[in-house]
Amino acid sequence: MPAAPPYLRARVPRNEDARLLTGRALFVDDVQLPGMLHVAFVRSEHAHGRITSIDASAARLRPGVHAVYTAADLGDYLKPGPILVSPPPIPNLVFHGCTQLPLAKDKVRHVGEPIAMIVADSRYVAEDAIRDVVVEIAPIDAVVDLEKGLAADAPLIHEHLTSNLAAHVIQRKGNYASAKAKADIIVKRRFHYDRGVSAAIENRAVVVDWNPKSEEMTIWDTTQAPIPIRNGLAAMLGLLESQVNVIAPFVGGGFGPKIMMFYPEELLLPWAAMRLNRPLKWTEDRQENFYATTQERGQVHDAEMALTKDGRILGVHDVFLFDTGAYDPYGLTIPINSQCTLIGPYDIPDYESEFTAVFTNKTIVTPVRGAGRQHGVFVSERLLDLAARELGIDRVEIRKRNLIGPDKFPVNHEIMFQDSAPLIYDSGDYLPTLEQAAEIIGYEQFIREEQPRLRAEGRHVGVGVACYVEGTGIGPYEGARVTIEPSGKVRCATGVGTQGQGHFTVFAQLVADVLGVNVVDVKVVTGDTREFHWGTGTFASRGAVVAGSACHAAASNVREKVLNLASVLLNVPPDRLELSGGRVFDTDDPQRGMSLGELSGKANPLRGAVRPGTEPGLESTAYFGPDRGSTASGVHAIIVEVDPETATVEIKRYLVVHDCGTIINPMLVEGQIHGGVAHGIGNAFYEKLVYDEQGQLLNASFMDYLLPTATDVPMIETAHRETPSPYNVVGLKGVGEAGCIPTGAVFAQAVEDALAGSGVEITEIPLSPNRLFELIEAARK
Amino acid sequence: MSAAIAIRVRVNGVRHERDVEARLLLSDFIRQDLALTGTHVGCEHGVCGACTVLFDGEPVRSCIMLAVQADGHDLQTVEALAGPAGELNPLQSAFRAEHGLQCGFCTPGFLMTLTAFLRDNPAPTDSEIRDALSANLCRCTGYHHIFEAAKRASRSTLP
Amino acid sequence: MILSGTFTFEGPRARVWDILQDPDVLAKALPGTKTLTKVGDDRYQGVMKVSVGPMSAAEFNITVELKDKVEPEKFSMVIDGKGGVGFTKGTATIVLDEQPGPITVMTYTSDVQIGGKIAAVGQRLLESVGKMMTKQALEALNRELKARLGSG
Repeated sequence: MPAAPPYLRARVPRNEDARLLTGRALFVDDVQLPGMLHVAFVRSEHAHGRITSIDASAARLRPGVHAVYTAADLGDYLKPGPILVSPPPIPNLVFHGCTQLPLAKDKVRHVGEPIAMIVADSRYVAEDAIRDVVVEIAPIDAVVDLEKGLAADAPLIHEHLTSNLAAHVIQRKGNYASAKAKADIIVKRRFHYDRGVSAAIENRAVVVDWNPKSEEMTIWDTTQAPIPIRNGLAAMLGLLESQVNVIAPFVGGGFGPKIMMFYPEELLLPWAAMRLNRPLKWTEDRQENFYATTQERGQVHDAEMALTKDGRILGVHDVFLFDTGAYDPYGLTIPINSQCTLIGPYDIPDYESEFTAVFTNKTIVTPVRGAGRQHGVFVSERLLDLAARELGIDRVEIRKRNLIGPDKFPVNHEIMFQDSAPLIYDSGDYLPTLEQAAEIIGYEQFIREEQPRLRAEGRHVGVGVACYVEGTGIGPYEGARVTIEPSGKVRCATGVGTQGQGHFTVFAQLVADVLGVNVVDVKVVTGDTREFHWGTGTFASRGAVVAGSACHAAASNVREKVLNLASVLLNVPPDRLELSGGRVFDTDDPQRGMSLGELSGKANPLRGAVRPGTEPGLESTAYFGPDRGSTASGVHAIIVEVDPETATVEIKRYLVVHDCGTIINPMLVEGQIHGGVAHGIGNAFYEKLVYDEQGQLLNASFMDYLLPTATDVPMIETAHRETPSPYNVVGLKGVGEAGCIPTGAVFAQAVEDALAGSGVEITEIPLSPNRLFELIEAARK
Repeated sequence: MSAAIAIRVRVNGVRHERDVEARLLLSDFIRQDLALTGTHVGCEHGVCGACTVLFDGEPVRSCIMLAVQADGHDLQTVEALAGPAGELNPLQSAFRAEHGLQCGFCTPGFLMTLTAFLRDNPAPTDSEIRDALSANLCRCTGYHHIFEAAKRASRSTLP
Repeated sequence: MILSGTFTFEGPRARVWDILQDPDVLAKALPGTKTLTKVGDDRYQGVMKVSVGPMSAAEFNITVELKDKVEPEKFSMVIDGKGGVGFTKGTATIVLDEQPGPITVMTYTSDVQIGGKIAAVGQRLLESVGKMMTKQALEALNRELKARLGSG
């Protein structure tokens, strides 16, 4: 393409917005079908206990109730859910896979575990019937604390095991003991990171329509992975994959828990629909969401860093506990992410990371935006801050001294990443990013002039700077099919779903650039197995990278076809042809050409023959399967003011300088970063799930679980850098999670800086005004 | 099962007469009985604001109101904002121009809240806009672009 | 949730003891009690309606079992409550100490676990509601005590 692609790096308004803004976008709960019945679940009120009896007789007699199912009614269908991610092949890895049943039998292991399913004329009647079901549970003491959970006398959650240990993994690079022996200082602390929910504003929902006459099932599901859901459900129900269609229409936010698959509700509604021969709908309510949708973020780290007196990191040793909740269907993705992200942009010659995953009587843990990356960053960034203070080195300076140089790529860190391949950084240039961040936030000037001046006035202001590296865009693969239709419009279908990332626009931008059409003329379809049924889903910041690259590849193939066919029809050699404005034409004689729509018609002749070795139409399907992920990175900087009397923290400025490779649409990238930062601010200072010692969640509503609002999140400044990934043609890297990864670390650093001299040390996330007040008071004594 | 109560409501200019149960939530009435699914339900306890509609012109949370409370009243939902052929009004256009929505689930609530706010405050300051937004939750955008959209809309003429 | 404190009854200990064992008196004194009947030696069953924050008139079926009775000095209770919005389980110990007057100083300590919906959304209010209900109940019992003493 001679000219620069018009849509690359362009702030294109989104194709999908008109529908979303006018209330014409279909979300799962909007689906209404004739004869539809409604589902509600009886859920455990105890975190741990033995089910001694379930009496649903009164519920079945209630007018309007069509069926009540318990584990006893499921027969062979009662099976533990699948392990979704197998642990990587790490030597000496211990993993006990214990997954959830669709309805509890014998034992309940977390509050909210489903015990019975009620199908009724309306959700109102179904919820009335919940109270009719009498469940007797003999409570057992709950396991809530990770260390106590591993003690010899802890109640056993999975009784076929000998303890509540779910997994144990050690990863090593080099030899930490030798690093420690050479060190001038060792910094060592315990760090606590606690649970939060993803809190997508749309709760989960499933609608199932089984047509017994055509033997076809259509499922609308708020899932991030419609294709695996289709394949798994078809297998479990004894149907052909082609008999099952899964549609993830517009989904109101994913953030991770919607890629947990084979939730009980996803398994049970199709099964029941085939028995009742009526369409069924289940929509989660917000309180259910706090129990029944997965959560994340509980970890306890005992970590130490060995350094020279010049602040050079010699090694890190981290031992941590990971809270996996009552079951562990998602394997070890999160703690392995923590292990890998700890390294960050730093040259750490010797590293040993050991974790123990612990079962607890709380909601199942699966990735939530960041998926364990924030924990690794929190540990290494906090240890560096503490080392900087002890050695008397500036915090930005100590980071500079440890950055991996730009000539070292690709860097192989030897330990295993979540995609079961060694952790390799493909590309990056860390020093300019750090310098740019320090410059934009005015670090030098702040430390030297502004901070001392404000301190003298009695104001407590602080600055924080934190670095991170994020593996994105991992395989296995995605696919796309691009078709130029006779109208001249282009259809692009891919298997991933969309939960707000703007796929309908960014994929269209990529395709429009390749084919020379207007971006609004590219109609993108996502998340519908009827349209495209090979692929995995949106997770781990991979949508644009993997599915986008597949769209680009498919469009490039179509471009080839256009050139070949046009060359024959126009009698012009292909290298003189150009695609622009929806036409293909001779660059020497632009009048000589035709519209792509016309060409598409000619490619599908009603008479004559399609020549051997060619296909009719202008269509191509392509797949993209990277060997490994591409490495994004960035630096966050923050300025805060703390009021030590009330322990409130005001964020004065928040800056993100990041590198996500080639940017398709800067407006959308900013949106992803803003959203991630807001989520990170929530996790840092407002959001905390409070469980009591018997595993009861005490704040299962937005009244008591505080999401940041428009007055809590500052205006976020962003700057982009690009080091294109060598692993895909466009050079893309992911950005979906970047905003929330170092937020806790940078927040803690800045608050500590604001309170410098008070003795307050922040080794836990989330804080809150209350908790910060406690820390300030404790330090006073 | 409670007896049905007859209600008359005008929604987006159209009169409806329906029999409803006393306990039917206004949000369910709008979404199910009237099939106006643009209004969304995020929490059912009045905090997130996704269910915001205009009740006699004032923003209310339909998830904590009953349908029977709307008897004899005038409601406006997000479906009323666009033109007859689906043309975006200035507020909606501002949201599109500024990327003020990602997944779009909370968006109808913001649009209705802002429709009332900008009508009553045609020249708001930045902090007045921020305050006006602070009772609606969004998990996708971090509010930055929503703020820019509201600001942009305040500078254009509103119907 | 731990609720403990002291309360002074304006009367002799033996009479306070009697009142505390009388289900009809307790039913009237405990706020929200619909029924409370003695179903066996030291066993009571009843239905209570409790309002906590957004949950108004949440109904609970409760059983109370008295143990470790040392008349008229002290006893313990094991409480089990189940309702549509959650459950509660706990124990309470009551100690009565007569002092000149005569007045009786009651010391109560209770540890009650709350679970289910009511724990999830009423958390901030549970303690204050518990304290308020206890205070109302004890004051009502004291009034009954004085009425009985007054009428001889």
